Amino acid sequence: MDFASYWNAVDDELAGVAARPVLEPVPARTTAEATSFTVRLTSVGPHRIFGSLSIPAGEGPFPGLLQVPRYGSVNNMAHLNDRSRYVVLTLMHRGQRLSDQSFQAAYPGLLTLGIDDPATYVYRGIVADCLRAAEFLSGLAQVDRVAAVGNELAILTAARRPSVSAVRVSDMVLYRAMEARLRSSHYPLEELNDHLRTGSAAEALEHTLSYFDPIRHARSVAARTLIGVEDVDWYAPLMEALPAGESYEVTHFDGTDADFYDAWLAGQLGVPAMSKFVR
Amino acid sequence: MRDPSTATITVDRPADFDEFWAAGLADCASYGLDPVLTEMPTLSTSTVVVYDVSYVSFGGLRVAGWYAVPRDGTAPYPGLVTIPGYISEPTIPKEWAELGYAALAVAPRGKLRSNAVFNPGYPGLLTNNIVDHHTYGYRGFYLDVVRAVDLLLERPEVDGSRIGLAGSSQGGGLGISTAALRPDVIKAVACGAPYLCGIMDAPTLTRSYPYEEINEYLRLHPKDVDRVRETVAYYDGLNFAPAVKAPTFIYLGLEDDVCPPETGFALHRVLTCPKTLRTYEHCAHHAGLPGVMRVVEAFLAEHLSLADHLKPVI
Repeated sequence: MDFASYWNAVDDELAGVAARPVLEPVPARTTAEATSFTVRLTSVGPHRIFGSLSIPAGEGPFPGLLQVPRYGSVNNMAHLNDRSRYVVLTLMHRGQRLSDQSFQAAYPGLLTLGIDDPATYVYRGIVADCLRAAEFLSGLAQVDRVAAVGNELAILTAARRPSVSAVRVSDMVLYRAMEARLRSSHYPLEELNDHLRTGSAAEALEHTLSYFDPIRHARSVAARTLIGVEDVDWYAPLMEALPAGESYEVTHFDGTDADFYDAWLAGQLGVPAMSKFVR
Repeated sequence: MRDPSTATITVDRPADFDEFWAAGLADCASYGLDPVLTEMPTLSTSTVVVYDVSYVSFGGLRVAGWYAVPRDGTAPYPGLVTIPGYISEPTIPKEWAELGYAALAVAPRGKLRSNAVFNPGYPGLLTNNIVDHHTYGYRGFYLDVVRAVDLLLERPEVDGSRIGLAGSSQGGGLGISTAALRPDVIKAVACGAPYLCGIMDAPTLTRSYPYEEINEYLRLHPKDVDRVRETVAYYDGLNFAPAVKAPTFIYLGLEDDVCPPETGFALHRVLTCPKTLRTYEHCAHHAGLPGVMRVVEAFLAEHLSLADHLKPVI
C-alpha cells in the first residue's frame, strides 16, 4: 500500500468509529485557575483511550493544547501554567497507563511491536489515537485554535488535521530512526537493534518506519512549526520539508530552553509567556 | 530573586526513624532473595550480556530488573544499581556495562514489570497511603532498591567491595536512602536533582509534578496535613543523609521546577560523608545533562576503582 493510501485508510477507519467521549470532573486537580476532567474516547481497534483535560477559568474561547504522548509508560500531567492559559488535553495512547484496559505496552518493546509490517505496526493505532484526540479538542466549544506539542506525533497529527495551527517539537524517536539506531546503544532506538537480533530484516523495519518518519508528513503540515534541534545538519532535511518550520538550536540549559519553548508557543497562540520556575 | 542556597528547609526526624527502617530491613531479610536471572540473547550484544532479573523484596513481593554485564572476562566488576525516575521505566543498562560495570537497573514495585501486586498507577505513588508511614506506598519501593544492592552482593561476577548507586530525580533521592540503609556496602552515590528531600517544603516552592500531587491530595483532605507531614518525615532524604558514608556527588539545576534546588542544597548541607556539589545555572530538572554525565562517569570510575583503561577522560 502506498503512503497516501495507508494514511487515508487510517482516517477512514477512524471516521467509522464513534468517539463516544465521557468526561468526569477531577476535584483534586481543579483550582481557581482551571477545572480538570478525565476523558475517555474510542479510537480504532476499537481501543478506549484516556486523556486529562483542563479548561481555564473565565470567559473563553481559549487556545487548545494537545500534549501528544511521550515514549514511555506514562505522561506528565499538564503544568498549572498551561492549564491557566490553554484548554489542555494530555493524551495517553493505547497501552500507556490509564489507556491500558485492552493492551499494555512494554518498555522496552513498544517501538518494535508489529514493526515487520506497516499494517500491524502499533504506531498505526497510536497515530490514530492522536488524531482522535485532536478531533475531540478541536470540537470543544471552549476552543478556538489548537496547537500540538511534544514529539513527532505532533507533526503527524498536524499533517492530517489542519485544525492544528501551531506545532512545537522538542523530542523525536521516529525521525531517521534506522540511521539513528546506529549512533548509540541508547533506548528506545536500541529496541530496533534488539529486534533485528531476533531475525527480522532491516529492510522490513525500514519500510514500516518510512510511513511514520515525520519527514514524509512534513510537507502536509500547514501549521507554524518549531523544532528543537541539537544537530542542525541532522535535522536539515526535516526543516527543508516543513513549509512553515523554524528550528531552535537547544542550548542544553534546559531552563533557558523551556522558557524559549513556552514563549514561542504563547506568541503563536496569543497568551502571556510563563516560566515553570518560580522566580 | 530566589537564592536557593540559603533557603531554610526543615524536616522533623521521627524518634523511631531508625527502628522503623530496621524493621523494614528485617522483614526483607526474613525472605530469601531467591533471584531468578534469565539470559536474554536478543537483548545482548557482542560486548554485553543482558539478563531479565527478579528477586524477592519487602513483604515477600517479587520485583524485576534488567542486569547487564560486560563480556570481556575481567570479572569481578564493580557493581552499579541504577534507580529510575518517577515517570520512567528502567532501561536496560547496556551503556553502563559497556563502561565496565555489572549494572542492575531496578524496577521497584509499581513500575510496569513489578506491578502485579502493588500498582498505585500514575499519578499516585507519591500520595499512596500517605497518611500512614507503615503502609505508605514508598515503603516497599525504597526497600526494593536496597534489595537490588543485596542481589549484586550475591553475584560472583561482582566485587562486593565496589558497589555504587546512580540516578537522578527519584533515582537521586533513593540513592541517598539506599546508601543510608546499606552504609557499609555502598562506596559511591551519583545523585542528580534529588527528589524526596524536603518533601513538605517542596510543594510550596514549585507548581510542577510530582510534588503537585501533595497539593492535590491536601486540596481534598486539608485536615490530613499533619498526618502527611508525619508520614513523609520517615521517607525524607534529609533524614537519611547523616547515615550515608559513601562519597556522594550531587548535581543540581538552579532553575529546577520539578525538584526545587533549595531542597538539593539542604541535602548537601546535612550530608556528613565526603561530598561534591555542582550547580548549573539556567538548568532545570536535567541538572546539567547531558554534559554532566561525563562528570558522573568519572566520579563513579574513581570511587569504584574502574580499571584505568576504562576511566573516562574529562
